Amino acid sequence: MKCTECGYEAPLSEFRYLYNARIDGSISIRQCKNCEQWLAVDELKGVALEKVTGGAAPWGKSAGIEGLAEDVKKKKRRSA
Amino acid sequence: MAQAALKNTSIEEFEKKQEWWWAAEKRRSSRLDYLRKAIWKKGAIGGLYAPGVKTDLEQAVLTTNMARSLENAPDPYVVKSAKIFAHVLDNKTIFITDHAQLVGYTGSLPHTMNWNPSIASILNAEVFNDPTSIPDPVDKNQAVIQDIVGYWAGKSDLDKMMPVFDMEDMMKMLSGSIGWGVPLARGGYSNKDYEYLMTGKRAFQEILEEIDKKIDEADELVHTPVANKEIALMYDKLNNWEAMKICLEAGIRIAKRYARLARIIAENFEEDPKRKEELLKIAAACERVPAHPPRTLQESFQYDIFIQMMSRTEAIEGAWPCRPDYYHGPYYDKDVNIDKTLTPEEALDLVGEFLIRAAEVCQFKPKFAREGLQGIDGTWVWTMGGVDANGRDACNDLTIAFMQAARLVRVANPTFAFRWHPHVQDKVMREVFECIRHGLGYPSIRHDPILIANAMHWHGHPIEEARLWVHQACMSPNPPTKHGYQPMRMANATANCAKIIEYVFTSGFDKIVNMQVGAETPDVTTFKDFEEFFAAWVTQMKTIFSILVRSVNRARVLAPTLTPRPFLSAISERSVESGLDTLDPSIARGNAWITAFTWVENADSLAAVKKLVFEEKKYTMAELKEALDKNWEGYEEMRLDFVKNAPKWGNDDDYVDSIMLRCLDECAKFSKEIKCPCGNNWPILPENVSGNIHYANIVGALPNGRRLGDALYDGGISPGPGLDKNGPTAVLKSCGKIDHITQGRAFLLNQRLSPTQLAGEKGYQLWRAYMRTWADLGLDHVQFNMVDDSTLRAAQKDPEKYQEVIVRVAGYSAHFVDISRKTQDNIIQRTVQGLG
Repeated sequence: MKCTECGYEAPLSEFRYLYNARIDGSISIRQCKNCEQWLAVDELKGVALEKVTGGAAPWGKSAGIEGLAEDVKKKKRRSA
Repeated sequence: MAQAALKNTSIEEFEKKQEWWWAAEKRRSSRLDYLRKAIWKKGAIGGLYAPGVKTDLEQAVLTTNMARSLENAPDPYVVKSAKIFAHVLDNKTIFITDHAQLVGYTGSLPHTMNWNPSIASILNAEVFNDPTSIPDPVDKNQAVIQDIVGYWAGKSDLDKMMPVFDMEDMMKMLSGSIGWGVPLARGGYSNKDYEYLMTGKRAFQEILEEIDKKIDEADELVHTPVANKEIALMYDKLNNWEAMKICLEAGIRIAKRYARLARIIAENFEEDPKRKEELLKIAAACERVPAHPPRTLQESFQYDIFIQMMSRTEAIEGAWPCRPDYYHGPYYDKDVNIDKTLTPEEALDLVGEFLIRAAEVCQFKPKFAREGLQGIDGTWVWTMGGVDANGRDACNDLTIAFMQAARLVRVANPTFAFRWHPHVQDKVMREVFECIRHGLGYPSIRHDPILIANAMHWHGHPIEEARLWVHQACMSPNPPTKHGYQPMRMANATANCAKIIEYVFTSGFDKIVNMQVGAETPDVTTFKDFEEFFAAWVTQMKTIFSILVRSVNRARVLAPTLTPRPFLSAISERSVESGLDTLDPSIARGNAWITAFTWVENADSLAAVKKLVFEEKKYTMAELKEALDKNWEGYEEMRLDFVKNAPKWGNDDDYVDSIMLRCLDECAKFSKEIKCPCGNNWPILPENVSGNIHYANIVGALPNGRRLGDALYDGGISPGPGLDKNGPTAVLKSCGKIDHITQGRAFLLNQRLSPTQLAGEKGYQLWRAYMRTWADLGLDHVQFNMVDDSTLRAAQKDPEKYQEVIVRVAGYSAHFVDISRKTQDNIIQRTVQGLG
């Protein structure tokens, strides 16, 4: 996997696993051991997606009504 | 926010934007605004104290000096303890905050956290090793601390207890893997005998007279020409009574010092006639209480603050059990409604200040406690509403005033827990809802009829006493009565329950702390069916619970001798009457419980194993064990299978819900086998505070799909974040399958609601309908977060702008910016339930 910030390359497991706030998703936060940047990582693909900053939402919106509301909006947009 | 912008934006505009904190700032009186801003942020941010907040060395130095001077004194230990307590009160620095009407603080200055070095050497070591909170000049003070640490090594409560505990149990507990804290009688949650103390019948002077009478009777008895067991034991009682007297007299003296200070300022320095009058009123209040029962609302609050201050001088108090609307309510009624000596607005100022005085209280806490209670000093969960001893509605005007004041001062601690019952008036429920709607995260709602029945079922409290219950910590009911009140709930009977299922896979070996902690159950790969697997789960559960309960039981038996509490005894009817320390199990009914942290992972994990391994045979147990050993690293598809294709708690799915009930049945059965030294039961109480974050790096990978490092579920019986996919009614139905009377002591449920959906009158009606379902299904607890994603994300991005955003963490609330990023993300990812 390649760090999106410093370009450091190493197997996924060498990026320090921090946590995944949504157990049902495959996005986790890992830390690059070279530049120490927190990265959002797709665990299924083994790819670093982007750095994690304050307010970042790597898991998207929370589940439930807020997420459903978005889905409904999208569906409506598509049907329109 | 810039002052100009704050000034130019109306309260209505702020409320429309749901920026309740700015609206509150504009709405509250100038006095409340000043007082609210004059306190220091004492809750740890993540695990560290805020810059500027310092450990108070004054009590530590006074305690140590007095202990040294008493070393060769002939006094019994309990009397020495009382003399040390009195010495601290007699010599501590006191202050009065500008504009305040209430006085009394645990430390010597507003930015300090008091430190009692006589309780635990391991705590003392943390003081020494935390350079961020050592006061300036650091070098000089480090030397002072070193001297104190050295003196108490081998002499503190914990040091005295250690050699008389089961050492194997103690090692397992102190490993930090299964428990939380240590079994100390002066470090936990003390309820109080409020029925003795706060009903206007007596205060310290009257109790002193009762004790004098007891001493006279005992003195007469011991000098009669007989010799028997009763007389032999009477000498210990005389010592206890003497110690109680020393504490009460010191309590009266420090109040008089406050009175004198207020009078000196008023008569010599204060030029504002209005403030001068206020200071003289403070002086009058402190001359009256705690010596005698209060006469006014101000005196009643002042009395309460003094009691708390003194109790926190004697012990480390991690909670603040009380029922302020019930015990202070008559004074509010007298002052505001009958005598009309206070306007409702003036009373609201007093109520708001009472909350602020409580919010500033702080004692230095160890790091594990700070991590487990991020953002607050302790769980000040104040009980509101409910019924009286006759079962009648006890809500009053002060209940409403507390709800209104909470919205004005917006402190994260204390929080409220509201005892709902079918006869609560709509006007009260509306006030409760407004607090929730304003994003405070409190009150939590408790089901009074269920919990009264529960208190009778588990601990045999008579109905008249059970009806008076208060929260002893976040969740557990305890009657504040002569034999019902529990003087100390030792925090270490807090089980990290996710270890139960983890140890089934490791045969009890804990890979994080590298030692055998659990039972040596057979290799998990040898289990032929789910029943064998579940039997191992039961064995691990019993093993963990027993380790924790044994140590608390041992500590409780030793406490009256090794770690007595003369002040707490002095304000307890059973001790004043009997001459025994209040910790003595023989005079208490018992109200123990095992807090079950990280509980729901067990049901989800058992269901996943049952379905995918034993029924569908999609994976072998060996494959699962291998994946868990590797923390699911390289097994992401399999991990997602265990998350998504196994039933999850909170969806009204009988497959997993029945497993949850079976686990609770096993615990309930075992709860009646294990007994406390009072002879009573040890029911479990699933809840978490922020232990789900503290344990994130202590609990290994689990079959529910969680990895080492991930936050555990937010606790109690709350479903995992994002895993409750069938809506709020399904969550309630799952939780409603539990018998909230007989299957445990209480069950915490976090729910997140949409502030947009619940706006206006329609929002209130939706919430009421939801609450009716909750009540009908017989759940004992629910609490709400009502802050949207975008506000929380914005607060992560720009914390300075969102300092006042409050969220419900678990059994408590905290300012969002004071909790760790992992906790913040955990809260954001909780499902936002749509109602209606």
